[in-house]
Amino acid sequence: MRRVWAILVAGVFLYFLIAQFLPIIPDFGNADMFLRVSFDIISKSTTSNYNVVEFKKSKDLEDGSANVVTSIVANYRAFDTLGEVTVLFCAAIGVGILASVLKPKRKIEFEEHRVLRISTGIIFPLILLFGVYIFIHGHLSPGGGFPGGTTIALGVLLLMLSNNEFKVTPVAKHIEQVAGAGYVVIGLMGLAIGGVFLMNFLPTGVVGNLFSGGVVPIVYILIGFKVGAELSSVVSDLREG
Amino acid sequence: MNLEFSWQLLREAIGYLLIGLGSFFYFLAGLGLLRMPDIYTKLQTSTKATTLGTFSIALGVGILDFSFLGKAILLIAFVALTYPVAGSVMLRSAYKNKAPACKETTIDECDGIANDNGGDVR
Repeated sequence: MRRVWAILVAGVFLYFLIAQFLPIIPDFGNADMFLRVSFDIISKSTTSNYNVVEFKKSKDLEDGSANVVTSIVANYRAFDTLGEVTVLFCAAIGVGILASVLKPKRKIEFEEHRVLRISTGIIFPLILLFGVYIFIHGHLSPGGGFPGGTTIALGVLLLMLSNNEFKVTPVAKHIEQVAGAGYVVIGLMGLAIGGVFLMNFLPTGVVGNLFSGGVVPIVYILIGFKVGAELSSVVSDLREG
Repeated sequence: MNLEFSWQLLREAIGYLLIGLGSFFYFLAGLGLLRMPDIYTKLQTSTKATTLGTFSIALGVGILDFSFLGKAILLIAFVALTYPVAGSVMLRSAYKNKAPACKETTIDECDGIANDNGGDVR
């Protein structure tokens, strides 16, 4: 049954890819990339219609996210970010395969250190909170999904260093799958509503508010979950292999 | 010259004094990292002095700007939780891996108990 569903989903995806995307790709040599990609940006006037950006007041500036880098990475270049996430996924698979294939199956044991164990119990929730803060506020302040997920994975590494019994359960892999699929689902929703894969279809709101930027914070939260779970399982694989 | 007493001036003086003290501690930490002979003394200067420097710089900024004081106290609490633990773990691993001490070292108080659990009471 799962196989049938997978084939159905892949078929729908391929249908959209072939029927919607391929006709809009022009023949080789005929594409005017200047008009296509950057003409709107380059010809945008900075002298007329110039408005000073005010935090918590301005509306609809680019896509409404205060962090311009995020508005590029998760909005214009969201497809590229999907590729980056896939690269990370491939790296995690490679580490997992290496760790299971390479011969010496010995577990690295760390010595008990009481000071480290007790203080990890205090610090780990703070690290988790900080990582979540980084990726939830990715569209407002420097940061985003990748640094936030890495912070969470470092917290997991600290737990591993301080406690020999700690294990990353397979739940991490499930979280990663759900988050990665959610990214693609958001892209398909953009395709269905706006006609472009990964389009920003939600209202962008006021610059500087938490609920602004349309689809950008959702994408970053998904990336944060995915990267955190992925790097945690990479660390766990490296330790157990 | 009429220097009248004001709380504002006193507050700024205390704040800048604390920031200067913290910078001085940071300077001492860097100097110790360069000048100390072996890893134990290097780690001792760097962790202790940077902990104190961070405390006093954060407190000084909090006193200069009262809206930052809560954040500064949180910062101090977090630094107090992390820096000494990091120093302890690094020193412990150095000792366990038998990092050489400088030749002026005369006494090793952890000699007997370190083989058990590094001096920890289980």
